[in-house]
Amino acid sequence: MRNVRNLILTIIAVVLFAFFLDKAPELLNGYWQRILNLIAINAILALSLNLIYGITGMFSLGHAGFMAIGAYVSALLVLSPAQKNSMWILEDIYPWLLNVNAPFIVSLIIAGLVAAFFGLLVALPVLRLGGDYLGIATLGFAEIIRILITNTARLTNGSLGLKGIPAYTTLFMSWSCLGIVLLCTVCMLRSNFGGVLRAVRDDEVAAKMMGINTFKIKVIAFTLGCFGGGLGGALMGNLITTIDPRMFMITQTYNVLMIIVVGGLGSVTGSLIGSVLVTTMLEWLRFVENPITIGSINIPGIPGMRMVIFSLLLIMVIIFRREGIMGMREFSWNIFFPKKKITDVGSKTETVLELENVKLKFGGLSAIDNLSMKIKHWEIVGLIGPNGAGKTSAFNVISGFYKPTSGTIKFLGKSIGGLSPDEVCKAGMSRTFQNIRLFGNQTVLQNVMIGSRIRQKYSWWMTLLPFVFTDVIKEDAEARAQAMNLLDQLGLDAFADEKASSLPYGAQRRLEIARALATRPRFLLLDEPAAGMNPQESEELMKFIRRLRDEFDLTILLIEHDMKVVMNVCDYIHVLDQGVHIAEGTPAEIKANPRVVEAYLGAGAAEGGAA
Amino acid sequence: MELNIFVQHFINALSLGSLYGLVAVGYTMVYGILRLINFAHGDIFMLGAYFVYFATIVYKLNWGVGVVIAIILTTICGLLVDRIAYKPLREAPRISALISAIGVSFFIENFAVVVFTGMPRPVVQPPILMKPIEFSNGVRLIPLGILVPVVAFLLVGALLWLLYCTKPGLAMRAISFDIETTRMMGVSVNKIIALAFGLGSALAAVAGIMWALRYPRVEPFMGMTPGIKAFIAAVFGGIGSVPGAMIGGLILGFVEIMSVAFFPTLSGYKDAFAFLLLILILLFRPTGLLGEKLEDKI
Amino acid sequence: MDDRTMLKIEKLNVNYGAIQAVRDVSISINRGEIVTLIGANGAGKSSIIRAIMGLVKSHSEEMTFISPRDGKPVSIQGKPAEAHVKLGISLSPEGRRILPQLTVEENLTLGAYIRDDAKGISDDMEYVYSLFPRLKERRKQKGSTLSGGEQQMLAVGRALMSRPDLLMLDEPSLGLAPILVDEVFGIIREINAQGRTILLVEQNAFDVLEVGAVGLSGTGAELLNDPKVRAAYLGG
Repeated sequence: MRNVRNLILTIIAVVLFAFFLDKAPELLNGYWQRILNLIAINAILALSLNLIYGITGMFSLGHAGFMAIGAYVSALLVLSPAQKNSMWILEDIYPWLLNVNAPFIVSLIIAGLVAAFFGLLVALPVLRLGGDYLGIATLGFAEIIRILITNTARLTNGSLGLKGIPAYTTLFMSWSCLGIVLLCTVCMLRSNFGGVLRAVRDDEVAAKMMGINTFKIKVIAFTLGCFGGGLGGALMGNLITTIDPRMFMITQTYNVLMIIVVGGLGSVTGSLIGSVLVTTMLEWLRFVENPITIGSINIPGIPGMRMVIFSLLLIMVIIFRREGIMGMREFSWNIFFPKKKITDVGSKTETVLELENVKLKFGGLSAIDNLSMKIKHWEIVGLIGPNGAGKTSAFNVISGFYKPTSGTIKFLGKSIGGLSPDEVCKAGMSRTFQNIRLFGNQTVLQNVMIGSRIRQKYSWWMTLLPFVFTDVIKEDAEARAQAMNLLDQLGLDAFADEKASSLPYGAQRRLEIARALATRPRFLLLDEPAAGMNPQESEELMKFIRRLRDEFDLTILLIEHDMKVVMNVCDYIHVLDQGVHIAEGTPAEIKANPRVVEAYLGAGAAEGGAA
Repeated sequence: MELNIFVQHFINALSLGSLYGLVAVGYTMVYGILRLINFAHGDIFMLGAYFVYFATIVYKLNWGVGVVIAIILTTICGLLVDRIAYKPLREAPRISALISAIGVSFFIENFAVVVFTGMPRPVVQPPILMKPIEFSNGVRLIPLGILVPVVAFLLVGALLWLLYCTKPGLAMRAISFDIETTRMMGVSVNKIIALAFGLGSALAAVAGIMWALRYPRVEPFMGMTPGIKAFIAAVFGGIGSVPGAMIGGLILGFVEIMSVAFFPTLSGYKDAFAFLLLILILLFRPTGLLGEKLEDKI
Repeated sequence: MDDRTMLKIEKLNVNYGAIQAVRDVSISINRGEIVTLIGANGAGKSSIIRAIMGLVKSHSEEMTFISPRDGKPVSIQGKPAEAHVKLGISLSPEGRRILPQLTVEENLTLGAYIRDDAKGISDDMEYVYSLFPRLKERRKQKGSTLSGGEQQMLAVGRALMSRPDLLMLDEPSLGLAPILVDEVFGIIREINAQGRTILLVEQNAFDVLEVGAVGLSGTGAELLNDPKVRAAYLGG
């Protein structure tokens, strides 16, 4: 019901706005039409950079370069041969280029595609970098593109730029483009693929463990964002009719960055609001640079003052409201309708894995030394030892985060040593982390749905047009139902729409397990599931772990310090000390093993368990 | 290539490189401590040049006095930038401080346009620095070309002494590894951060002054390109490492000058070399020449 | 208030977002004591000690430190960590937090950052070297090249360099071989015998109690009643 209502409201709003745009040329003067056009173009640019940075978390400073590519490609396609002939003064234009021509709409698409192609070229090498380095590398590419444009005069007319580009960017064109971009963005972000993008931003390590090839996801998001950059640049060129390389300096990227930061990083609504505010403000502030006459007094315009005021406002926004206007929230019609409050509900024999002589070294330090173990189907196995014994390192080797220095790891009969975490996950293994790694900004339901992405068959590009590729909607609905089912089984259903980071500690632990189960693993690794639980909670956890094994037909390997949990729940125990596998056996054997007592349990442990 | 011309290029490269290095040191210190790309650093450099211009050419002060005043004023500006635009954001996500830095950069550049106008102004060089010295083998050098690298090396040497032989220097190095632990040792972290900004700004001021002498003019946007290139030099040398920044600056200076000297047709692409170098080093040695490898924590 | 009280905390609370890590904990420590906080991983022990040091935001009804130097009670609630060091509190943090690129000697010098008495500093450095002769051998080596045990010694030594009246040690046995654990705890008792009050955090009760048993010749149960070693078990 709610969805139908919201859809109707959206359609009404769009129709009203289209009607307004249709009448705009009569209602508004050229100045305001220009501002409206700029708003639409800036919104396209902001949405595309937001996809790269706000949603997927890749700090890119290269947008101006992709805009430049788009602007030049489109301009070269729409300029007439006669215009080109008269413009290339210093050097001759390439003959093949002289007669290339395309209608405006085609030129826009080609502009976007060429920018996306360059984006892909850039992405493949540099997206392996993280954080600020990525920012600097992309900034470097944008500058190189600009320098190339300046120096390839036969292609681009060099520093003279292109003039007299037909002003094809009408209000109708710019806003239709924005409409399409916005529709595709929203559809994609609402699909499970959108959840995957945010998951990569929130926690790349955990995303890998959900079976997601995060590099591929980043390349897709970056390339799509570059398409938007090219499209925006093309529209811009056809609006102001003159382009030259100096237009696409780093300041251009900063402008777009400011829009998404002011609006709220990661929020589509924020990008739209930011575009309106920043564009209007920048245009409106022009008055300080124009001479003003009040009565008989003439105040001369002050050049530069506009950007001074603007930069001060920007600094103030960052210092006093750094999450921007929207934060990560999105607009929804629901805010006009009261929401029902959720009341809190209480929480209700074959070898699977074989390690042989696995060694792991960091530099000269040996983290794991010659670890061999066998884990059989349906077993619950404990891995214990003092802090720093190499337990978590063992988990990281098994789940593919570290490559073993030597030795073999076989999972379900196949060697998995050297596979990446996402491949290991696809092979049927899943894990939790010692320090819980949820996708904190997403809801509980979304967290679990990301786990089912590896089983979904639709491709990412279908999410741009879910009404055409209805598989997206169908499969997402299935994933949602399965996720709800899991939440229900783990007593988390009441929290489904809450933000994961807002959950109580114990519930976050269970959510992490639910998310791991969503990948349908056959083998589950639990890293200190009882950490931070009180005795009563760990009691429940023990029952829960057994239930998990029974209901999901799992084999479980767990690291745990709480000896009561380990001794009661595990069928078999391995003990590590300083990277060396010092003992294995049933709980009773381990309790009686003098080496274990000496290295780990301490003399009092044999009788009592932990204090 | 004749010896004379080669020596000219060599000295040019050396002084350009050491100017990049001086600016890069400021980037690397701030980045090492706060993980912040201080985009306003290039504009601080520009302020140094303007202050010396006003002191010596407009107010006709003696060059020595003018230089001292310019360094002091620029340092104050650097400290103010930290105090106003960065300090309130210490606990914020890093992007906030980065955007703030971009805002400050815009502000200083455009404020300079408002106050100084956008017109480039010529700098009158003191004749003593420009009188060529002739050597017996026909090589001619102007004193300024030698002064620039000498001053730069002395200053970086002094900075290294401060970092490695004094208590505040020890604290500064410690902060760059672990702010919280350093705080536990009783170090007032904000004071040390201010010290880093102050030192960086003073070095940028010196670089700005020498830049204004070498390319004898000042204009509000003169800090932009050298600023970005100096940052690249810092990344190239291994960000966080002071000697690395200087080496990175020198390599960049040599690549730019020598590539154009040997391949004059490439002069249009001069500015691209810096970025090309940057991308290459990031791909093959992401931590830069002297940077330390950091282990990912899972 | 006992006139031997050094640190008094009433109803301490620490929150990380929605997670409450510490709830209404009250602690009182007397001069000359070794007090140990024991509890499972995640029970909030480290949070307590970090709150005392001023490294995390916390709320409490009272958090007072009475310096034996002048006997004046000072509220340390909300004060930054560097102010604590000047009052006479120091912390050897969880995970050692050695500065990896600084030498052993530089790490120790940094520990004495608030002091200006060159003579006293070099005396204390010798004292630390006498406690941990291994550190003296390695004093020119970078922190990152030390083994886990040596790093732990360095962390304890560094915390001593500010001449604290209250020394807080967060899991000094973490990741150490059992023999080293003995050694470290022996030294902790030695430090205590020289008049420093110690607040210790440990995960494994057996470590503390057993090691204590060796040194003080009593069983774990007796030790719990021993005024010298008090253990406050913290549930989750």
